[in-house]
Amino acid sequence: MKKIGVNVLKLDALDKVLGASRYGGDYCIPNPLYLKVVRSDKPHAKIVKVELEEALQVKGVERIFTAKDIPGRNRIGIIQKDQPVLALDRVRYVGDPIALVAGETVEATEEASQKIKVTYEELPSIKTPEEALQPFAPPIHEKGNLLVEFNLVKGDIQVGFKEAEVIIENTYTTTWVDHAYLEPDGGVAYWDEEERLVIICPTQNVHYDQREVASFLNLPFERVRIIQSTTGGAFGGRLDITIQCFLALAAFHLKRPVKMVYTREEVFQVISKRHPLKIHYRSGARKDGRLTAVEVDILGDTGAYASYGTTVAIRAAVHATGPYQVPHVKVRSRMAYTNNPWSGAMRGFGVPQIAFAHESQMDLLAQALKMDPLEIRKINALQIGSETATGQVLRASVGIRKTLERIEEWRRKILPSPLDSKRPFIRRGIGIGSMWYGIGNTGMANPSTAQIELSPKGEIILYIGVADIGQGSDTVLLQIASEALGIELKEIQLIRADTFLTTDTGATSASRQTYITGNAILNAIGNLKKKVLQEASSLLNEEEKDLFVEDGLVKHRQKLCLGLPIQEVARRTGKTIRGEGHFDPETTRLDPETGQGSPYATYAFATHLAEVEVDIETGKVKVLRVIACHDVGRAIHPNNVIGQIIGGVAMGVGFALMEEYDPGRTISFVNYLIPTSKDIPEVIPILVEDQEPSGPFGAKGVGEPALIPSAPAILNAIADAIGERIYHLPANLERVLEAVQKAKKED
Amino acid sequence: MIPPFQYKIPKNLKEACDLLWDYREKAKVIAGGTDLIIALRNGLLRPEFLIDITRIAELRKIEEKDGAISIGGAVTHSEIAVSPIINTYGKILSEAASQIGSPQIRNTGTIGGNVVNASPAADTLPPLMVLEAMGKVVSKEGEKEVPIESLIQGPYRSTLLPHEILVSISFKKLHPHMKGSFIRLARRDGMAIARMSIAVLLQREGIRMKQVRISVGAITPTPQRMKEAESFLEDQPFDLERLRVASEKTSSEMVLRSGVRPSTSYKSPVVKALVMRAIQQAFENLQ
Repeated sequence: MKKIGVNVLKLDALDKVLGASRYGGDYCIPNPLYLKVVRSDKPHAKIVKVELEEALQVKGVERIFTAKDIPGRNRIGIIQKDQPVLALDRVRYVGDPIALVAGETVEATEEASQKIKVTYEELPSIKTPEEALQPFAPPIHEKGNLLVEFNLVKGDIQVGFKEAEVIIENTYTTTWVDHAYLEPDGGVAYWDEEERLVIICPTQNVHYDQREVASFLNLPFERVRIIQSTTGGAFGGRLDITIQCFLALAAFHLKRPVKMVYTREEVFQVISKRHPLKIHYRSGARKDGRLTAVEVDILGDTGAYASYGTTVAIRAAVHATGPYQVPHVKVRSRMAYTNNPWSGAMRGFGVPQIAFAHESQMDLLAQALKMDPLEIRKINALQIGSETATGQVLRASVGIRKTLERIEEWRRKILPSPLDSKRPFIRRGIGIGSMWYGIGNTGMANPSTAQIELSPKGEIILYIGVADIGQGSDTVLLQIASEALGIELKEIQLIRADTFLTTDTGATSASRQTYITGNAILNAIGNLKKKVLQEASSLLNEEEKDLFVEDGLVKHRQKLCLGLPIQEVARRTGKTIRGEGHFDPETTRLDPETGQGSPYATYAFATHLAEVEVDIETGKVKVLRVIACHDVGRAIHPNNVIGQIIGGVAMGVGFALMEEYDPGRTISFVNYLIPTSKDIPEVIPILVEDQEPSGPFGAKGVGEPALIPSAPAILNAIADAIGERIYHLPANLERVLEAVQKAKKED
Repeated sequence: MIPPFQYKIPKNLKEACDLLWDYREKAKVIAGGTDLIIALRNGLLRPEFLIDITRIAELRKIEEKDGAISIGGAVTHSEIAVSPIINTYGKILSEAASQIGSPQIRNTGTIGGNVVNASPAADTLPPLMVLEAMGKVVSKEGEKEVPIESLIQGPYRSTLLPHEILVSISFKKLHPHMKGSFIRLARRDGMAIARMSIAVLLQREGIRMKQVRISVGAITPTPQRMKEAESFLEDQPFDLERLRVASEKTSSEMVLRSGVRPSTSYKSPVVKALVMRAIQQAFENLQ
């Protein structure tokens, strides 16, 4: 292996450092019209009238669009298409788009947007999922307020609790979290010479965008071209449509280039959020620590629209036990519509929330059984041959126990810290958090494709539809191609994330691109090699079976002196030689009644250990250090994996301690706090490489796993420090102090 | 969108005073702008002129004169944080300045701006209050020197008239036996508005506390001295029970000034703890 496990220079590194990367807002096109969205200030209302006359008088305003101007389907959504691009007769949350102003200047669009008069007839608004599911609650969508109910049943839960000698039961809640990606969404759209509508913007999935925009405009797919701009992180927030349809609608009608850039305030108001979940969790174990039963009831708030609500409900349920063997499991997971901001995909799809619950429960069980929190996890950890809660038998690459063992080695080095006489108000604690995460979409086909091409000019070109959102897929996937071809990285041209030039690889989400597209690339290269050998066989007049490809050369099994570069084969034949690749992970659909099946082809595992300091007089928590051990199968680019882990820990600190989106109150980063460099602990990343046989060179994924165990470890460390547990995230100053006061009362 | 304005950069104080005299309410002084620009962007202010006073040499100096330290209104927080003079004679102020916002904010924001912006959470005000600082205010009509407290009228309201400039802030060099402590609590360690700040100065004579000065930020409508707690401790022996009573007085004063709010149940025990902690630390600093 020459290119795998090697820290090559990340493809985008130099441009990023030099400021040469072009983000959506950096695209300049001649003579554009600027766009501004006018939004609802009511959480739930009928639109009685929209008056545009006065706004149209504003100098520089070109046109104002409403739902009536949409030529195609005015409904978008990844699973259920329930979200209008522009509201026609009803708004469902504060921020629902109603009109789109196009003008010569940003100022003109802003002035006009303030002069649009919308008359509403307010409807009762629903603020909580509990309220939404009341029998006579006003329906937010035609099908009612229950978006999805998913049930998972394994064994007999009654029996499981009968066998239990200790039972722990609690309710955990989490709140809305913003992705806080780098740049506000911005982009351009224009018609090209071939009558194609081109949109350049940040995204996690150009082909999904293409489908949505095409049906929205009633255009054939091929007349819409989506090109991904440099994307400064996305974390799920760019899986749904953001600005694409607005750009498309205006450019479609105006036949002029258009540009728009959201303000940060808009991003906070209108981009999806992490789903707040309410998790009622009951677990039982025997005296020896073995789990006998887990019963979980999850109720989530998807807000005004479905987005990824169904995915989150199902993924949270499937992962509800944590990375442990449990013979008897019962989970009910529901998602309800409300008139709150809509929730969608965010790093982990419900697993960070459920991991907070299952890891708190594990510590509480350990406490009740007077066991070591690491020991109880080891006893229950999944291993090869284990059956998961969905009845899937794990066949390979189950590194959870290894991560626990590595963490245990580290824990031995941490000495108990005596009370600091200068700071008697400080308590220190350590906590463990483990997780598992299924790679790829849950229980459904999620194929990817790739092409590798040798041109008659001797070029080697890799075509992938994958959107690199900063995580490094461009580099990692090129490494895979480079290794498989035996050709230097820099010899391979990469064409990616452009619907005109590449085919559908599915979304950059669910930690899936390395594993799934990586395999599609290997498949493409396998097919390319076959074709190269066919061509070489006639070219060299040798039997095809005597030839093989190694180190980028066509070689002969007997004639050792023969070594023809594969590029040369294309050059000499004057043909383009193309290898088509495809991969779809082996999964089965989950049974609709019992949730049983094999939803993922492979799982990633991880354990974090957090060391914290709690000021018991103020509730201030300082995370001192996180030791983060991840089973990634195989690290194609170790530094990239480490980068993901450090970023995941940083995000986990925010999720654990401070991130809290308060609808109607949160405006921007002025009152939405994410950790700064001063708040991020030292991170010690440890890679466990329990290779996945079905993965490209053994790789799985790490994007979301990096985040998931951090908050549970931090919360367990706080409980260790103060002797009382916090059941609601984030553990902000007030909640920590309250827990300290509660602990004092109990003493 | 920031509304249009004309930007004036006077080279000296006289020019600045003349401009302000001419433009009055149409003008706003900008001395860093870390709060002003946000107010402009949010449409809260729409001045026709911005008068940038940060290029006036007189306002950029830190000086030691006649037993007092004088800091120009346009001196940045970064400069205060590293100033040897302030670190020697008014350490509590440089400590507070070093904790403001982020390096970018500290490099841009100024002490004069921090005072005149009059935020309840202004980081330099509690230290300036315990230092019993005076502000020198200049306009075309003349100049005056007033206690720092009297520059603050209410939350985000200073008593400066539109044509006046806070030229400098001065305080007497601290007696070497006078020590202080500054505690700032925020939801995160960088780039966060203070949730609470406490500044304490005191002197020690044997076991007794003298010249006790306590001020708080972010818990009352404007930062203020806690006179009742101060006089309760003045000339008294240092003991924890006494500190506890004094800290309770601070908390009562907070409730009196701010009323009972949803945040009171959190702030009340915390302000007590931090006042005690600040006094203890100041006292220990004297050992």
